[in-house]
Amino acid sequence: MSRELAKASRVRISELTASTELYLGVHIAAPGLTFDISCFGLDADERLSDDRYFVFFNQPASPEQSIRLLGAQEGDSEAFAVVLPAVPDAVHKLALTATIDGDGQMSQVAAGHVRIVAGGTEVGRYSFTGAEFSTERAVMLADVYRRGGEWRFAAVGQGFDGGLRALLENFGGEVLDEEQPAPEAALAPVPQQAAAPRPVAAPAAPPVQQPYPDATLPAVPVPPAVPAQQPYPDATLLAVPVPPAAPAPGAAPAGVRISLTKYTELPESPGWVKQNDHLVRISLTKGQDILALQGSMVAYQGKADFAHEGSGMLRKLVGNLTGQQLKLMRITGEGQVFLADEACDLHVVRLEGDSFCVGSDRVLAFEAGLEHEVRRIEGEGLPHGGFFTLQFSGHGTVVVKTNGIPVVLPVTPAPETYVDVQALVAWSRGSQVITTAPVRIRRSAYAGHAAESYSLQFRGAPGNFVVVQPFEV
Amino acid sequence: MEAQFLAGSGLDAYRAADTGARMSNHGTAMCRVALTAGADVYAKAGAMVAYDGFLQYEPVPQSFRRALGEWASGERSPLLQWTGDGALYLADMGADVLNLQLADESLSVNGSHLLAMDATLGCTVEKVRGAALLAGTGLYNVTVSGTGWVSVTSRGVPVVLDCAEAETYVDPDALVAWTTGLEVRTRRTVKVGSLIGRGSGEAMQLGFRGSGFVVVQPSEDTADRFKIRG
Repeated sequence: MSRELAKASRVRISELTASTELYLGVHIAAPGLTFDISCFGLDADERLSDDRYFVFFNQPASPEQSIRLLGAQEGDSEAFAVVLPAVPDAVHKLALTATIDGDGQMSQVAAGHVRIVAGGTEVGRYSFTGAEFSTERAVMLADVYRRGGEWRFAAVGQGFDGGLRALLENFGGEVLDEEQPAPEAALAPVPQQAAAPRPVAAPAAPPVQQPYPDATLPAVPVPPAVPAQQPYPDATLLAVPVPPAAPAPGAAPAGVRISLTKYTELPESPGWVKQNDHLVRISLTKGQDILALQGSMVAYQGKADFAHEGSGMLRKLVGNLTGQQLKLMRITGEGQVFLADEACDLHVVRLEGDSFCVGSDRVLAFEAGLEHEVRRIEGEGLPHGGFFTLQFSGHGTVVVKTNGIPVVLPVTPAPETYVDVQALVAWSRGSQVITTAPVRIRRSAYAGHAAESYSLQFRGAPGNFVVVQPFEV
Repeated sequence: MEAQFLAGSGLDAYRAADTGARMSNHGTAMCRVALTAGADVYAKAGAMVAYDGFLQYEPVPQSFRRALGEWASGERSPLLQWTGDGALYLADMGADVLNLQLADESLSVNGSHLLAMDATLGCTVEKVRGAALLAGTGLYNVTVSGTGWVSVTSRGVPVVLDCAEAETYVDPDALVAWTTGLEVRTRRTVKVGSLIGRGSGEAMQLGFRGSGFVVVQPSEDTADRFKIRG
């Protein structure tokens, strides 16, 4: 199952695994050299704007534990556990780096790899050797980064001349003199170092105090002075979050604007963005039309135009079957359009040469440039004798709507997957849909079950999937 | 006994909690109002799902009904006045609840989206006129002003759009609330083609311009759900 990733290759993590909890293992075999392997959580400008997301030996976890250093593991000299959904939005890229501790150069490396493990199985591996490097003392191994709402993995393998400090400066941006990275690095260990010795110091203090009376009196005030000094760094650290917290519960009313902060519009960005679970924002550009469900626009800014779309290819859909209509409109112009439908959960799917089918009533919008084709799935016993799907292929974006959080089931050749036709959302094109009679297994499944329910059977090569929503229309 | 039962069950996480705020969210769809004597609250009729403590409700007083004007002229008052000491839980068919604190500000709320408001807030109601009436919105706009809390509902997670950066056009069916002082106008995007039954489904929008913002819900359904239930 493990996929070999060549240097400079990029891959969507969703292609490797459906899991979002990743184990990133780094192994570097270099006799006589020791490496510091660290993970930089960089913002959109590739800067380390928040040094709490510099995860390294002195700071083994990010504040919300989404990135954790695991230490040496079997087969890996260093490993990280990354929980992608928990990574804050401000962090756009996790850059894995290795720097030589002490003397040496990267060409001395015999072999190494970065591997992605999900759910106990290795799903991707990027291998490298020292021959790819020369006198560099650091290497940017790999990136896990956001692109259009998805996480991707890039095998970088780029050597870097300086050591860890130069890397920090490279990512730090404002760090100009060499002293600043040092406090950054020095600040980070403070909480742990302070945290670790303090519990030790506290139990140690009473036994120490007991012998003191036997000794000299001046020694007595010293022990309280020591613990008093220890809380101070803690207190100053705490003092930082306090001022912003203090005005919030204060007596002065916050104001509507502040009450609504969490719903503010996302910063401007091109393309298709998920504003929240129920809203998609599309930044329109000239010449790239959007086809969307009629009436799905809730708001827009700028110059947008909405026109009826009645092209020939959809005539079949707008045809004689009731309840099967897909009425589309064409959105053109410039500006930003917000689309939503009945507070359904929306999912932005980016196709890059892939192909998949979506139930015609589950499509919210898609790029007009995307190849789309209307298909009809027919089967005895299906409501209305069949239903329509849209098959998308090519390069572009589709927005799929579901009622509730859907499940993506793998489709395999041997045990078939059965899906209630009314809960079906989408499937990859490689999945074969079978509508033969024997699969009609849910007819009158329970007493008083008036409406017929019909299950579809899916079969396909591994790697195919079917998306099911927790709602039967 | 009950505590033991709860501690082991998955319901433990949903215990009622006092947040200290006048209005706060319990989950996304429930509003908790902390009531104290002398600080009454007006809540949408039928929105109460539970209450705790010594609470009483009655139709809004006659003087206030006059302010509500036509809105309250029907056989039932759209708002109830809650008095007493305790906690009041409000919800509207699972819609998301937004609790907003006004600081000497005023906010226009689509009538069917108003869940609760402090009785100390000023309130004026106007019937929606003109083209927006055709859009089938809640028919009444409630303008709430002063200093205090107001709770509004939104079907789905809303978005707040700043009208200062660009004129913002909103589907009237998706409009939840907006700050007063914005210049509002209607914009028609009806084309000749749509007169022969080929509309884009987006016939009319409300345009907002000025310094302020609008709250937009991700659904085009503003039907007052309590009206259905009667």
